[in-house]
Amino acid sequence: MKVFDLIIVGAGPGGSMAAKVAAEEGLKVIFFERGRKPGEKNSSGCGLGPRMFRDFPEMMKDLTPDKCPSMRAGTASRNYFVNNDDIVAGYIMARPTESVSYEPAKSWITMNVYRSEFDPWIAKFATDAGAELKTSTLIVDLLKENGKICGVIDEKGEKYRAPLVVGADGVLSTVAQKSGLRNKWAQNQVTLVPQYDFQASSDKIDDIMGDETLGVWWGSNFPASYQVFFNDGFHQGLGNWMNWWDSNPLYYLNRVINLKYYQRLLKILDAKPRELQSHLLPWLQYPYNTHTDGVILIGDAGGFPCPLEAEGIYPAMVTGKVAAEVIVDAITSGDVSKNALSKFDEMWQKTSVGEEFEAGEELYNIWKALPFSHKETMTWFVPMFMEALGGIYDWSQPHAKRVRQIAAAIKSYSPKALPFMMKYVFPLVAKIFEDDLDKMMDPQKLMSVLPKILDMLPKKKGKRGGKL
Amino acid sequence: MRNQLEGLTKHIPGTADFIKIDQSKCNGCGLCARICIVNLWGIKDGVAFIRDDYKEKCLECGSCGQVCEPNAIDFSYPAGGTGIVYKQG
Repeated sequence: MKVFDLIIVGAGPGGSMAAKVAAEEGLKVIFFERGRKPGEKNSSGCGLGPRMFRDFPEMMKDLTPDKCPSMRAGTASRNYFVNNDDIVAGYIMARPTESVSYEPAKSWITMNVYRSEFDPWIAKFATDAGAELKTSTLIVDLLKENGKICGVIDEKGEKYRAPLVVGADGVLSTVAQKSGLRNKWAQNQVTLVPQYDFQASSDKIDDIMGDETLGVWWGSNFPASYQVFFNDGFHQGLGNWMNWWDSNPLYYLNRVINLKYYQRLLKILDAKPRELQSHLLPWLQYPYNTHTDGVILIGDAGGFPCPLEAEGIYPAMVTGKVAAEVIVDAITSGDVSKNALSKFDEMWQKTSVGEEFEAGEELYNIWKALPFSHKETMTWFVPMFMEALGGIYDWSQPHAKRVRQIAAAIKSYSPKALPFMMKYVFPLVAKIFEDDLDKMMDPQKLMSVLPKILDMLPKKKGKRGGKL
Repeated sequence: MRNQLEGLTKHIPGTADFIKIDQSKCNGCGLCARICIVNLWGIKDGVAFIRDDYKEKCLECGSCGQVCEPNAIDFSYPAGGTGIVYKQG
């Protein structure tokens, strides 16, 4: 039997990061990948934020197009608003604003790379540090002695021994299941994401999209759909929790693809579907059951994707690094008990991932209520928003009259918009600003004030017989 | 798009079975058939079944096992080095 200090199941960004840090600290590490190489089973791909370059500068400066040819960084995002009739009623293109504090983030928002390139790139840091990578190997069980976890068993029955096992094996983590940390996610804790990859030439994307790297399609007839541009192609995908789907997920994704506007975009980009992908990811209000005796779960396996938009690469790398640091201490002190490993929770809670989860419940709830409730929310949100955004572009009436019409239309949405604000927006704002706004955001106080504000909105003017 | 799905996935053959259904546990709800992106599930006589060629089609997302409330579907993964390959994932 092969003996190690640390076994990591999974060679995605989280597993490789943990392997790198632990190996650099002198631990004898093995990490396993069920694909023939890291990344070939993954389809999250993959917008890396400037925070990656801030937190892992030594690594990220090594990420270059010769290693990851799919790389495309860009400065702008575009939000499309699609109405009930499947018409793009408007869009907003946005660039980083003046309040952005991290200097590099002023010039780009995401660096997009395919996982088939990114994951092998990051795994190499681990192998360069001395960790052993075993590919094409499926771990099927944990090795136990006297009820104590002491390693893993692969599909061929081969055993690998170590005092500590890290589960970096994704949403359906075998390590989580076999260690008793989790049998199965609840349906509202896990999201299914179908996704197309489209091929398009780099030049066409440059000419037509410019430096836009991200599109979000907000619609009344599908859950919000994202579009991520790579060097020579792009992803179009969408998701929702498992308790939501009333039709095949591809039906909803195809509703985006079949929009006239989208078809036009495909045509001018000369884009062709290249790959069909589907993956599950955990999407939680707060991670729990992250560790037990001899086991730590990181990344998707631990439920760490962002509670707002479920980006999982960065949380995987952060929790992988933190887990490795905790493990080095645990191995050194000879204590790998659940109690000793509870330091993992203390540590990740202090990171920016932990800060993200401080408002995890509110972020999760607003995402659930807005993009993931398109029928309930986007059906009024899009027309209301478009009144404000585009209502003035009308040359059939005097502008003053248009303003009155727009104000009346916006007001007519208030029976839906106000309860939405009360239930989802104000709790989030109150959580984010903590005590400062608590009093201001008192729901009862607001309810008493808002009708007065509404009354102040202009009403129909009698003069000149103008009707709304 | 639906009829254009052929050719949009690539698989390495050689795995043993990795999805199993215990038909005695199946309640015929059909959620597996609804959720599967590549339509690998059907319902016959009130019980779910999986297509014979699922190993060449499955995207390995595991949705079928996740949605199955009576836990009739046991989803694991194909043998290491086989199954779906994403080049642009």
